[in-house]
Amino acid sequence: MSLFDTFTLRPSHPNAPRAGLGHRFGALLGRVPWLWPLRLMVPLAMVLVLAAIAHIVSILAMPALAERNAFARLSEITDANVMTLLPEPTPQQAALPMMDPAFVSAVCLFDLTEHPLKVRVPATADYTSVSFYTDEILPFYALSDQAAGKVIELDLMNADQKAALPEDEEITAADRLVIEAPSQEGIVLVRAFVRDRSLRAKVRRELAAATCARAE
Amino acid sequence: MRLLTLAFSFLVAIALGLGVTLYAVTHSRGLDTVRAGAWEGWPRSGTIKADPYARAAVARSGELPLELADGLLFLATTDDAGRPIDGRCETRITGTLPQARLWTLAVMDEDGRFIPNDAERYGLTSAEAVYAATGGIDVRLAPRARPGNWIPTGARSRLKVALRLYDAPFSFASGAGDASTVLPHITQEACP
Repeated sequence: MSLFDTFTLRPSHPNAPRAGLGHRFGALLGRVPWLWPLRLMVPLAMVLVLAAIAHIVSILAMPALAERNAFARLSEITDANVMTLLPEPTPQQAALPMMDPAFVSAVCLFDLTEHPLKVRVPATADYTSVSFYTDEILPFYALSDQAAGKVIELDLMNADQKAALPEDEEITAADRLVIEAPSQEGIVLVRAFVRDRSLRAKVRRELAAATCARAE
Repeated sequence: MRLLTLAFSFLVAIALGLGVTLYAVTHSRGLDTVRAGAWEGWPRSGTIKADPYARAAVARSGELPLELADGLLFLATTDDAGRPIDGRCETRITGTLPQARLWTLAVMDEDGRFIPNDAERYGLTSAEAVYAATGGIDVRLAPRARPGNWIPTGARSRLKVALRLYDAPFSFASGAGDASTVLPHITQEACP
């Protein structure tokens, strides 16, 4: 027996199994004969808590981990910082699921790491809208032609680029619409309503004039 | 032995958790659901305040959600009586639509694909629809052509109908959306 043994903890009964709290609680409940199913409750509750943690973590991680989200799907058909008309959705194939068949759509995958972007969309004869999403498909801004006028013109930039804007410039261009993106990469979706199917080709031509280019 | 049980229950727990996640992202589109008859809408999933379930569902499905500032999506998979919408029946969508700049209806199969047909008609819009004198609509979803507002169903057994209202002056922030939004009724007749 050495001096240090004074500080070591020993189980009160040397032969008793070193059981966890859960097990001991379960064993305690097991002593009451008609309560024996409760013995299973403790491990069951532990399984349920673990399952809940796995569920919450996977739900929260899904936007970041999803490999086939809209950004990934669009990356296959277009480059960054270019406006591209999406092919007409048909029963056989669609660039994205759940698109409205009554609309013509164009997308621009933005990447603001190098420079801010200027998005210009000529308003068509009918309803035209521009929507912005982060690369994790979080919608962060949308506007329609009624709010904007003849040509929808927007400056898209990240927080640093917006902070670097000279203050007097904001005054001279008061009607300039500056949108701050919460992420470096994301999607600009431009959509125009087609009133009559015979106008579809015309609306496509009009929307083809939409641009998404480096801001001066 | 003890370790084995522990590992087993751990695996069961993970499988259970991920199973619930898979069910949630395939069967729901978010937590804040607005119901009106057979229609279901998720107004907040089109905003930056989208809840984690809405964000996970959108990330998995690969769609771009309709932004609330743009429009509002309602989906129906059953009629007013709760029966699944059957493309072999004649399904009628009747009633008046809430005030909006324009609306569109689209008919899809269970997986969200349009129904192939010769006329390339996948839906109906407010610009094309024929209105009754009262301002209401009467849309028929049927496998064969019908006079008036007809959308072909290709005789699919299960259908999904999407109603989109654009530039609609709603406010769902107050939670009064359910009562103030009255959407058309869906009924089925002439089932085989």
